[in-house]
Amino acid sequence: MNGRAVRALIRKDVLVELRGREVVPSMAVFVGAAFVLFRFGLGGTELAGGTRAATGMLWVAIVFTALVGLSRAFAHEREGRTWDGLLAAPVDRALFWFARTCSTFLFLVAVQVLALPAFWLFFLQEQAGPSYPVLVAAVLLADVGIACLGSLLAGLASSVRAREVLLPALYLPFSIPLVLTAVRVTTDTIPPQTSGLETLERLGFLALYDTVFALLGWALFEYVVED
Amino acid sequence: MRSPEAILCESLARRFGERDALAGVDLSVAEGETVLITGPNGAGKTTLLRILATVLRPSSGRVAVAGRDLPAGAPDVRRSVGYAGHDALAYPDLTARENLELYAALYDVPDGRVDEELDRVGLDGRRGDRTAELSRGMLQRLALARIGLHRPSIVLLDEPTAGLDADGRDVLRGFLAEPGRTILAATHEPEWFAGLENRLVAMDAGRVTA
Amino acid sequence: MAHTARLDRATAATLVAALLMPAAVALIFFYVPSDVDQGYSQRIFYLHVQIALTTYTIFGGGAVNAARYLWTGREELDLQSYVPMHLGVIFGSLTLITGSIWAHISWGTWWDWGSRELNTFLIIFLFYCAYFMLRFSVEPGERRARYSAVYALLGVGLIPLSVLAVRIAQDALHPIVFRSNGVNMDGSMFLTFLVALAAMLSLAVSMYLVEMRGKRVDERMAQLRRLARGAA
Repeated sequence: MNGRAVRALIRKDVLVELRGREVVPSMAVFVGAAFVLFRFGLGGTELAGGTRAATGMLWVAIVFTALVGLSRAFAHEREGRTWDGLLAAPVDRALFWFARTCSTFLFLVAVQVLALPAFWLFFLQEQAGPSYPVLVAAVLLADVGIACLGSLLAGLASSVRAREVLLPALYLPFSIPLVLTAVRVTTDTIPPQTSGLETLERLGFLALYDTVFALLGWALFEYVVED
Repeated sequence: MRSPEAILCESLARRFGERDALAGVDLSVAEGETVLITGPNGAGKTTLLRILATVLRPSSGRVAVAGRDLPAGAPDVRRSVGYAGHDALAYPDLTARENLELYAALYDVPDGRVDEELDRVGLDGRRGDRTAELSRGMLQRLALARIGLHRPSIVLLDEPTAGLDADGRDVLRGFLAEPGRTILAATHEPEWFAGLENRLVAMDAGRVTA
Repeated sequence: MAHTARLDRATAATLVAALLMPAAVALIFFYVPSDVDQGYSQRIFYLHVQIALTTYTIFGGGAVNAARYLWTGREELDLQSYVPMHLGVIFGSLTLITGSIWAHISWGTWWDWGSRELNTFLIIFLFYCAYFMLRFSVEPGERRARYSAVYALLGVGLIPLSVLAVRIAQDALHPIVFRSNGVNMDGSMFLTFLVALAAMLSLAVSMYLVEMRGKRVDERMAQLRRLARGAA
């Protein structure tokens, strides 16, 4: 694995984002709007469904926000036609996927650093919420899974004309097991809580999910990246 | 299987959906030769160069670069090939220097060469400028700097003279004159290359016609 | 030249299916005894489970051919992967419909969000639909074949993860068909189960072969058209 190439590719993604400011701000705006709407939708003073409903909605927001970000993945390569330059280089195609996964993960975390405190502010302040360590662990694990599969699918969809519609459609079935487990593991830590063993089992599932799609992303990216 | 030519194509074909971009190209380029490919738009010149650059796979036929058959031998060949395509292949939000640093990392060449190449093409003054701010001629020179980084023995150029400014013309001449390099250039201006020993190959409708 | 009538595979398979299906229907509706708890209408179980099993089998075949396509690049494997996926949507829809009918019979609801199997199947059905969307969004050719194969292989990862996730997330209300220590059915039920399964599989195989035959004819026509254009 060419560490220098990976670092350079991640650095490129981060620099392009810092200068262009396209992905992270749009994700932040989206998740903020989602929280506001959820808050009013669930009830102004008394939260319908309590913190359980809110936590469930958090995960929906995370997935859709990620899709907003992923729709811009590889956009520069496609618009600027820089793929040819990258593909001509003596670099394993899987490394392009790996670097994109890392930068997507970074962008997701950057948005969530703002979104999670906002979530607390909007929904949890007075009431008992989920266990924060578990929530953070679940969010990070989910981020890895979303980044791995999302980068592969974004690479696939980027060369298709209907990409704006196609990427969310392709991703949706895969988001279901992720959200199912993530919601379960986080809402179950809201008092009255379930056993720590079950929490571990569910976090373990998220790690398994990550592993499966990391392997598939690594193996399959070369088949989606060439013309 | 090894072949002595730098580039060898036998009945090379490439299809996109229903369209045959290349319909059976036979071409042989010896080491150190300079070959110019002429032909109308849509003749398949860019597709041919992209296949030789290992950016595109052939649909059928045989193609070998630097003695290695593609696409199987592509990873070994990439280090010896430099490809300057139609587009600048640069990230507009990155500076000239940052763009080259990316490629220096991808080709695993020392970072010092980035400044060397920027000097050589006369862009040392603009190294800190975003490539979105550079003119077409400067971007062409940047492309030559990019492919100079890893000192390839085979160079593939797609319309290298288009948009070239006065400084760029000198840089390109110097680039082409370097001994030992195999050069394959698609161009609409073969006259420009007079003075450099070269061979002309004409293409049309996905085939070599002359 | 003497013309001998020969049975090609598609016709042969269709004949087999044409024999097995009525046999299965007869067994299901007239032979097997009614279920003690659920009565006559429980018989839909014999259709629903076989259709579901057939769907999984079809999908498995499609996925295997997808992997083979990526590995070898042979064009016919794309079709051999796509057609099973396509049939999977049809059989998948039937699974959901029969499952819904069965849910209504058993529990009085048209859809049971608490059912493990139904929810897993929903996820997989959505996957099939997305596969179709992908297929329609890309022009025919090598690229579409590649993308379809990649997505089909992603589905291979999705299925076990979905089963696990649904199991983790909720309790099962779906009757277990096979207990760990044996089959939860008596002799006549088991026979009916197997015949119906064979009937469904042969139906799937015959549909696959017929569709493949049709697609090969289409491809031959397209080839001829191309040659004619080239010669003109």
